[in-house]
Amino acid sequence: MDIEAIMGQVLSGLSVGMVLFLIASGLSVIFGTLKILNLAHGTIYMIGGFLCYWITSTFAHIPAIFWLALILGPIATALLGGLIEIFLLRRIYAEEMLYQYILTFGLILILGELCKLIWGVGYHTVSVPWPVDGKMSIFGMIYPVYNIFLICCGVAVFIGLMAVMRFTGLGRIIRAVTFNREMANALGINVPMVYTGVFMLGCWLAGLAGTLMPPMSVVALGTDMAVIIDCFIIVVIGGMGSLSGAFIGAIILGLVNAFGISLLPKLTIAFGFLLMIIILIIRHWGLLGKPE
Amino acid sequence: MRTKSGVLIVSILFCFIIFCGFGCKKAGNPIKIGHIHSISGAMSMYGKSCATGGEIAIEEINAAGGVLGRPLEQITRDDNLKPEIGLREAKNLVINDKVDFLTGTISSAVAQAISNYAKEEKKIFIVNIAQSSTLTEENFHRYIFRIDTNSIPYWGYAPALALAETWKNKKIISLGFDYVTGKDTLKAFKEKYLPLVPGAKIVGELWAPLNTTDFTAYITKMKNSKADAFFLACIYGGGELAFTKQAWAHGLYDKMKAIQSCAGDVETWSSVKKGEPYPKGAIATSRYPFWAIDDPKSKEFTKKHHDRLGYWPSYGAMNQYVIVYALKNAIEKVGAVDTEKIINALEGMELNTFVGTVKIRKCDHQAMMPTWYGYVDFTPELPFPIITRVKALGEDSYHSCEQIEKIRLAATPKQP
Amino acid sequence: MREIIQEFFKKTLTLRLFWLSTAVILLFILPLFISTAYISLISEMLIMALAGCALNLMMGYTGMVSFGPAGLYAVGAYTTALLLKKTGIPFAATMVAGPIMAGLVGAVVGWFCVRRTAVYFALLTLAFAQIIWTIFFEWYDFTGGDDGTVGFRKPELLLSINSSYYFILLIVIICLILLWIIVNSPFGKTLQAIRENPVRTEFIGVNVKRYQLYAFIISSLFLGAAGSLFAVFSGSVFPDYAHWIKSTDMIVICLLGGMYNFLGPVIGSAVYIFLSKLISGYTMYWMLFLGIIVVFLVLFMRNGIAGFISHKIAPLIQENKETEK
Repeated sequence: MDIEAIMGQVLSGLSVGMVLFLIASGLSVIFGTLKILNLAHGTIYMIGGFLCYWITSTFAHIPAIFWLALILGPIATALLGGLIEIFLLRRIYAEEMLYQYILTFGLILILGELCKLIWGVGYHTVSVPWPVDGKMSIFGMIYPVYNIFLICCGVAVFIGLMAVMRFTGLGRIIRAVTFNREMANALGINVPMVYTGVFMLGCWLAGLAGTLMPPMSVVALGTDMAVIIDCFIIVVIGGMGSLSGAFIGAIILGLVNAFGISLLPKLTIAFGFLLMIIILIIRHWGLLGKPE
Repeated sequence: MRTKSGVLIVSILFCFIIFCGFGCKKAGNPIKIGHIHSISGAMSMYGKSCATGGEIAIEEINAAGGVLGRPLEQITRDDNLKPEIGLREAKNLVINDKVDFLTGTISSAVAQAISNYAKEEKKIFIVNIAQSSTLTEENFHRYIFRIDTNSIPYWGYAPALALAETWKNKKIISLGFDYVTGKDTLKAFKEKYLPLVPGAKIVGELWAPLNTTDFTAYITKMKNSKADAFFLACIYGGGELAFTKQAWAHGLYDKMKAIQSCAGDVETWSSVKKGEPYPKGAIATSRYPFWAIDDPKSKEFTKKHHDRLGYWPSYGAMNQYVIVYALKNAIEKVGAVDTEKIINALEGMELNTFVGTVKIRKCDHQAMMPTWYGYVDFTPELPFPIITRVKALGEDSYHSCEQIEKIRLAATPKQP
Repeated sequence: MREIIQEFFKKTLTLRLFWLSTAVILLFILPLFISTAYISLISEMLIMALAGCALNLMMGYTGMVSFGPAGLYAVGAYTTALLLKKTGIPFAATMVAGPIMAGLVGAVVGWFCVRRTAVYFALLTLAFAQIIWTIFFEWYDFTGGDDGTVGFRKPELLLSINSSYYFILLIVIICLILLWIIVNSPFGKTLQAIRENPVRTEFIGVNVKRYQLYAFIISSLFLGAAGSLFAVFSGSVFPDYAHWIKSTDMIVICLLGGMYNFLGPVIGSAVYIFLSKLISGYTMYWMLFLGIIVVFLVLFMRNGIAGFISHKIAPLIQENKETEK
């Protein structure tokens, strides 16, 4: 491979990785604090996509509607997440992980069918919005601005989340609850509210990813199943609940896929799982997680 | 605890006897066609379309007095894309609903499961949509028919013939979904294209997992491959839309020619409006380009379908329509609903459809449905991109009977 | 008079063997009463019941939550199907080979998995099951890929639905009796001790990891047996049998019936398959209702139907009796 081809694959690997990070970051945040494996995360992401399509097509006459959708869509999914947390998840924190897994599996079925009921079974697309709709030249290659925009979004979300967790009072509270729930409760922190808030944040991130994706991809039923396992892989590689781990994990998965398709095309499907198995066997707390 | 589960099991069993024992229906007057398709889930658009196609045909036939004085009836069941559920529903249709024929399925896996059952049960199973060529080649048996194209002509031979007639590109890179039909498709394409265009070669083969929606890495690879055309082997549905958008954004369509088999079918493209990315100028194939077919019956069918469902008919709808008429003709020819005789009647039968006369071949029970190819573009008539300058490909886009014979021989296990 | 009836019911209700044998006899004479379509449905339930019970040994009795039981189930199914298709070895041998192969794979997978606990164990089983799925999916030349392995020979005897029903019934009952013996043996009691408190069990001198591995292997054997049966029952096998969605189906069956109950999965399987058959006939949004059932189950019936009856309904009856007195 010449240098240009290698740079091309690196860039596309980063792009794929950042898109996956946008989705997986919410899963990682939720697992970090709530210790819940949210299978329905992919479905929330899909709903974000449908909302983006619905808003942009219904109010197509409003200029810059996509950017409005980008604000409204994630808020809607966050509210949905809040309802799910308050009415469903809250009842089963004390139970085994198995029940949470199955409950969120039930949510996949329910939310997926509701999407079908509301938005039908067809494929939908959303145009790339101004001003990120052009092409630009990087390392002598033509590259869509939107992909670069997505990479920036991924990095921005990562830095933003890290900053919130590190430097704000809210972040301190979340970290306290994550570290020791009982102690935080004793200190007067309203733990159930923090849980609701964190779950809503996770769903907001899923919704954000869902709203950002349609301009470069497609809105359709079934996209949830396609991403959820990838998200699991990322979260495991990076370390369950570690945000920076998820960031690194997403980049690794993106790059491995980008180079894997040309070097070992037959194994592309298995790469993610192999990575996951290796990590779980030799370092199950993940690359950046903390050993228990 | 255990006592209770014993009691529970006994009571469940009694429920079964009460509900199921007497729920078994008597064979009624109508001739029944069982139709198994994906009515729920990601592929339900196709399932609903097929069901509607069959219903339109049945209404026409029943309004004209039915078949041998008996009305036709279509019973549609959902397979949820799972082979075990498809098989379960097939059994139910045959045993409980006493259907005389089985049709349908979009998933090749479901079709394989039902085909195997149809063989054991000696019921005619007519495949509609499932594309895997193995159904009628390696795994062929007397009771399977296919009134539809299959992956060889549609995705492999037809694009190859079309390309050989037009651009004759020498350096081609391929991208396909990584599953059996995808692999078969590329094999068929190479088999047909390479001898037709001397000096042509496939410079790279890329495979994406099913359900991929982010093709960025593949597109970058294709861009740097120095090929002068790319061939999409079985990238369909949402994946194809996503690919097109991304390839468009990367300027791939400016850099090389596109052979994009699936882009000729409307299901995927009917959501694309003017000004949005689409595979402009690409060679694409279609199984039912209703806009280019002048037969008034086709026009009427298309309108009826659109009135009922709010979207344009998929090729599956047309297939189901043709299937119902094929069965009607066969039954009338035989004079009774007799599976063995109907098979004999169907073998070699010529169907008068609104896409021309289509023959059902004896060697693999495949109806020689035509495939069309053309160039993707917008026309004034329809609000979404379609293939224009349409040209039909006939029997030479199918595997010949001799080829199939060879494939079957190679697949027969050598018994020790 | 009333008391005599009550007494009678109380007596008979406690006769566990009576009810179980009634159930078995009913199962054997069932084909006389109901249509073969339902016999085929019950065959399916029996197979899933066996898979559920096998999973329950690992999940309910040993406390190891697996997200990937379907992988081992598929190994059993594919072994039998491929042997039937590619070789000429006797049918009975292929039926034995399925579980053995699944047991071997289970031994390898389990050896890695038991080193991890809780969520890491579950995710590792999930990843291994997906690898198994990938192998079946990608190895076109051997397994037929996603077109599956179809058209393998079947003994003449099993061609009719009723005779294959009896065959499945017999094997399932034998397997369940074996599982029953295992669960109630000292070995089984040790497994339950591990579930309740692995640390304490370790202290009393039990090699917990080894016992967990044994439980994993035994569970794999029976999952493989269920897979083999399903291969013969359906006449076709597909990679999707190993998919994580199939695994969740199995877990739901265990949950629905009741995890801490030996026959829970049997009830779960019957109710789950019957319900999905029933709802799918009425609405195209049947997955919605299935989802609602699953959510309801987790929120309100965590111990499944069996647990629900013994915890919620049985005390009610008891109470009534007491107030009457």
